[in-house]
Amino acid sequence: MNVALGRAGVTLGLAAAVLGAVTVVYGLVRKKPELVRLSRAYSVLVLLGGVVAFAAMEHALITRDFTVRYVYDNGSTKTPALYNFATLWGALEGSIILWGTILGGYLVAVVVKFRKRLDDPLVGWALATMLVVAGFFFFLLAGPANPFESVSPAPGYDGPGPNPLLQNHPLMAFHPPMLYLGYVGFTVPFAFAIAALVTGRVGEGWLLATRRWTLIAWGFLTVGIVLGSWWSYEVLGWGGYWAWDPVENASFMPWLTGTAYIHSVMVQERRGMLRVWNLSLLCATFALTILGTFITRSGVLESVHAFTESSIGPALLVFFSLIVLTTVGLIGWRGDRLRSPGRIDSPISREGAFLANNVLFGAFAFVVLMGTIFPLVIEAINDDRISVGTPYFNRMTIPLSLTLLFLMAVAPVLPWRKASGELLRHRLLWPAWIGAAAMVVGVALGARGVGAVLAFGFGGFAAGSAGRQIVLATRRQGWRGLVGRANGGMVVHIGVVVIAVAVAASGSFVRQAELTLEPGQSASFAGHTLTYEGQQVRDEGAKVVNQALIRIDGTGPWGPSLNKFANGSQTIGTPSVRSTLTDDVALSLIQVPDGDRTSITVRVTIQPLVIWLWIGGAVMALGTLLAVFPGRRRNPIDPVSAPLPGARAGRGPSGREGVAPRPGRADVDDERDAEEVPV
Amino acid sequence: MPEPAPERSALSAGSPVRRWLPWAALAVVVVTCLSIAAFGSTGTPTPQDRVAAIAKTIKCPTCSGESVAESNAPASQEIRADIAERVQNGQGDGDIRAYYAGRYGDAILLTPSASGVNALIWILPVVAFAVAVAGLVVVFRRWSGEAPAHASAADRALVEAALRREHEQAVEADDAHGEGSSR
Repeated sequence: MNVALGRAGVTLGLAAAVLGAVTVVYGLVRKKPELVRLSRAYSVLVLLGGVVAFAAMEHALITRDFTVRYVYDNGSTKTPALYNFATLWGALEGSIILWGTILGGYLVAVVVKFRKRLDDPLVGWALATMLVVAGFFFFLLAGPANPFESVSPAPGYDGPGPNPLLQNHPLMAFHPPMLYLGYVGFTVPFAFAIAALVTGRVGEGWLLATRRWTLIAWGFLTVGIVLGSWWSYEVLGWGGYWAWDPVENASFMPWLTGTAYIHSVMVQERRGMLRVWNLSLLCATFALTILGTFITRSGVLESVHAFTESSIGPALLVFFSLIVLTTVGLIGWRGDRLRSPGRIDSPISREGAFLANNVLFGAFAFVVLMGTIFPLVIEAINDDRISVGTPYFNRMTIPLSLTLLFLMAVAPVLPWRKASGELLRHRLLWPAWIGAAAMVVGVALGARGVGAVLAFGFGGFAAGSAGRQIVLATRRQGWRGLVGRANGGMVVHIGVVVIAVAVAASGSFVRQAELTLEPGQSASFAGHTLTYEGQQVRDEGAKVVNQALIRIDGTGPWGPSLNKFANGSQTIGTPSVRSTLTDDVALSLIQVPDGDRTSITVRVTIQPLVIWLWIGGAVMALGTLLAVFPGRRRNPIDPVSAPLPGARAGRGPSGREGVAPRPGRADVDDERDAEEVPV
Repeated sequence: MPEPAPERSALSAGSPVRRWLPWAALAVVVVTCLSIAAFGSTGTPTPQDRVAAIAKTIKCPTCSGESVAESNAPASQEIRADIAERVQNGQGDGDIRAYYAGRYGDAILLTPSASGVNALIWILPVVAFAVAVAGLVVVFRRWSGEAPAHASAADRALVEAALRREHEQAVEADDAHGEGSSR
């Protein structure tokens, strides 16, 4: 029954997406609004198809219906309920179900949000684009990655269960859905970008319409990445949270280009410039999510997180090429309309800072892309195998990151158009002293090494100028000084600084050792005392847990363990981490008592400030929420370039959330523009 | 419009010495910190620290995408023990890495070499970055060479007429979509 239901869902989703796209495009070309408005019904049907497939798969997993291929391959009667539920996104085919369902959700959200403009060609083409993307993913489910194949298992068959690494930590239930909400969310702005190119309405309208969608997608992606590194830290057991692994890079690249986009888009909203650049960044972000899926799911690159390999590689590669070709073709075709008016007056200005930001983020993304795919290229060229790992990425990205931190300190205080030296001197003095204080504190606490101390200094500097903006805004507008894109953005900046400082500290001052301890024996390492109390073995059904009880500085006991899973040959360690605000002590068990030997070997990793990575991630998420919250309302009919004598101030056209405001009326930077920009 | 910014008077107050004094003091603090950070002693690294540092640059031969430092696979544990032994015998970091490259091939090293085609991975990003920065400089040069456009009375009249027309159309049609492609 689950097979039939699941197939019905997939077929419904595929049919609705394909028919919907064809109908909407036909209606748009033939100018039949009643056909275009059918996008509403088709979108709901796509979501319905996704939900049915999702429900069928969950039902099959929960009832352990081993006649479904996916459950046969990935399910097990021994898997605990939470991990059993999460098994849906534990392997490739199931994760495509999640992808399709989320995309259906976004489709319906767009239809609801733009319900009054469904026959507007811009919205119509955007929905058609989204339906095409949805069609592609449902096609994968129907053909190359079909999870609903039926099998007839031998009586009494029990599946292997998900990969042991995937049933070791509850974050598994949250990290992939967050990441997918981010990946899939970028489909919305991408679809509007395509629609803007097709309709020729390449002005700022589509940007404003998708501003929040982009921020929300970006926020989900950020949370997904942070949760992913938290998961690695808690599960993999070597005290690391980021290893520049291909799968991690695949999620990081769209984040980098997306971050560049949400900054440079402000230049276009304000000055109407950088149109081609912004379109390219957005399409690159979307294309990179597909390329990332290809890299990680086709098995061309080996990775610690690649839990599946399959035959969808070619399909993804074709789709990726199609996106790139379509985008490049459309941008070329609309070249004449994309030529931007205006110019940037001075590099020392808000616009100039955004450009510098884009160059740095672009370079960052390029480095990550190079490091990820270079081994493939080399192998193709001369059949040589090379590895590109952490040392390469660190060496290339640390200078870029430090420059970005410095830019983050200076940019927020820059006015649009042009800044004077005097003004910078005045506004940056206190933030700079905060940075200097951070350096002094770091050095006084024993930090050595130019890179780390510079990171603390620039971090303090950036936090200072973000804090300055927040203080000024709240002083002027009360609680509203915390909401809106620019103010929320400053909160995000503070979160980034917290993460940057935590990365610099934990990466530079990590101490690691392997200790062998007899029962009752204590050992000291890097200022902490570890005492091995004894061993505990228990059978939990799905796994046999072999745990060592260890006290850290008298607290605990902490119990790192080695788990032997019933259905796997692997032994997977579960580390145990004592987190405090100042440092983390991570223990991972390497050897348990065996035969005559009563000692254990435990690897201890001591890193300062790790917990601030997760706190910083939470601050970034909070800042994104604040940024999405509507800021101070503007009169939507504010003229763009000149006051209009005689026109009564009326209700502006709806759907125009804000046009480029005249200087002095912007939501945040009253202070700056009033004094800097001659009106 | 907001009130005249109070910063203006504060900015121009004081002699150049008074204005620059806080920045000079700041520079002293920063330079002091950085020199302590750069030249201050951290103590010689312990053998265990060295083992960990070397292990991070060597790929686990049997697992996918993990370094010897990260992996708990038997092969990695053996290599870690072997590195510890070599460190104890007084071999240099470079020698130890070279030994493993000789034994397992270059792919065991996580840092790609900078020779032959492989050098591209180091050079290309730097070149791309330099080109992007040079491009920006050229564009800014060109922009600053142009005289800024000044609106003449005729221009203003044109804009006014266009805005009025758009406004009237918007009111008339209650333009639900409201974003002219002209903007």
